[in-house]
Amino acid sequence: MDHIDDLLRAYFDPSQAPPTVAVDLARRADRTPTLDAEATVARFRIEASARGVRRLSVASRGALAGDRRHAERARRELIEYLAGERTFFSVPVDLAGLPEFQAKVLAAAAQIPYGDVLSYTALARAVGHPRAARAVGNALGANPVPVIVPCHRIIRGDGTWGHYAFGPRMKTALLALERRTPTLVGSSTTGIVCRHGCAHEQRIGEARRIVFASIADARTVGYRPCRVCRPEHGVPS
Amino acid sequence: MNEATFARVAEEYASRLYVVAYRMLGHRDDAQDAVQRALLKCFAARAEYSPQWAISTWLYRALTNVCIDELRRRRTAAAGARASSEVAARHTRPAPVGDRVDVERALARVPREARMLLALHYVDGLSFGELARIRGISVNTVKSQLARGKAIMRETLEHGGRRPRRPRR
Repeated sequence: MDHIDDLLRAYFDPSQAPPTVAVDLARRADRTPTLDAEATVARFRIEASARGVRRLSVASRGALAGDRRHAERARRELIEYLAGERTFFSVPVDLAGLPEFQAKVLAAAAQIPYGDVLSYTALARAVGHPRAARAVGNALGANPVPVIVPCHRIIRGDGTWGHYAFGPRMKTALLALERRTPTLVGSSTTGIVCRHGCAHEQRIGEARRIVFASIADARTVGYRPCRVCRPEHGVPS
Repeated sequence: MNEATFARVAEEYASRLYVVAYRMLGHRDDAQDAVQRALLKCFAARAEYSPQWAISTWLYRALTNVCIDELRRRRTAAAGARASSEVAARHTRPAPVGDRVDVERALARVPREARMLLALHYVDGLSFGELARIRGISVNTVKSQLARGKAIMRETLEHGGRRPRRPRR
């Protein structure tokens, strides 16, 4: 028997688990705030132009305005996103007419991967204005399409949430949702890995789902990225 | 599978699931969290459980999915922190003593997928076939991943990890 085998066996000895682990687990309640996807989106007012979604706001009664095709698609994707069935938006966003700096900040915010967070300072640095953290905060505060352009993924440098257009409860719920939801899902039948929310991914049965941390990991065990949702773009490998 | 059966199964496997999660994630709380999430997932899908699967395969698959995703989230968070050079005062680990810490350090150099397979293989003595079903890969991939993981560990333990790490593809 190999020396490494012995070391590993001792290291992974299951008897080191606290004897009460089952009881402890039973006691832990699931306290994460949850969102009712349908009810939340029912209160969204979604405006779209022919080029994409222009504005997303909360109204007493939700509505779709402008280009039906984009607005309807945005509504559908938002429901899937809030239900934890989607980790990216494929509906186009129309940011035409916004000041240059704000457009730049929003474009940079859209690059932050699902489940990740960045500080205002870090985002300011990313757009090339390292001292403009306040201005970045203002630009994000005036984000015309919250959730779809993920301004909730930007938090304060000290780890507190900071301001959010839809309120701190919503920000907590969104960040908790993103923490619980895996992003890269492979199918053990096809050996293809998709972004969570891709049409092909939604057809993978529960018993065939394999979660990967990165495309590089998936490749090392012989999975290839999906050609439709292209997970190698937009998810750090 | 009814609720009582599920509770019995969960209790039977809890400690083994916990050790896999603890060794992958390195924190007691995170490990408990991962086991809890995996069990909740299985509980919600208990109607879909088909007896052609071994219960362990089913539970371990849910657990590995949760752990792997947690590691992904941590890595992107760490990269963000590094990029913004806002790394908070990191916990300094206690001085290395004995084999256990050496093993821990050597394992840290093993790629995630191989580390997961090593953990499952040594915690529960799972066969290559079962490991393949848990991670949805071929038996030959399991063998090569385990061998590669052990080779990296051997090199790290023997040379103290001083050799430059091969770049990841």
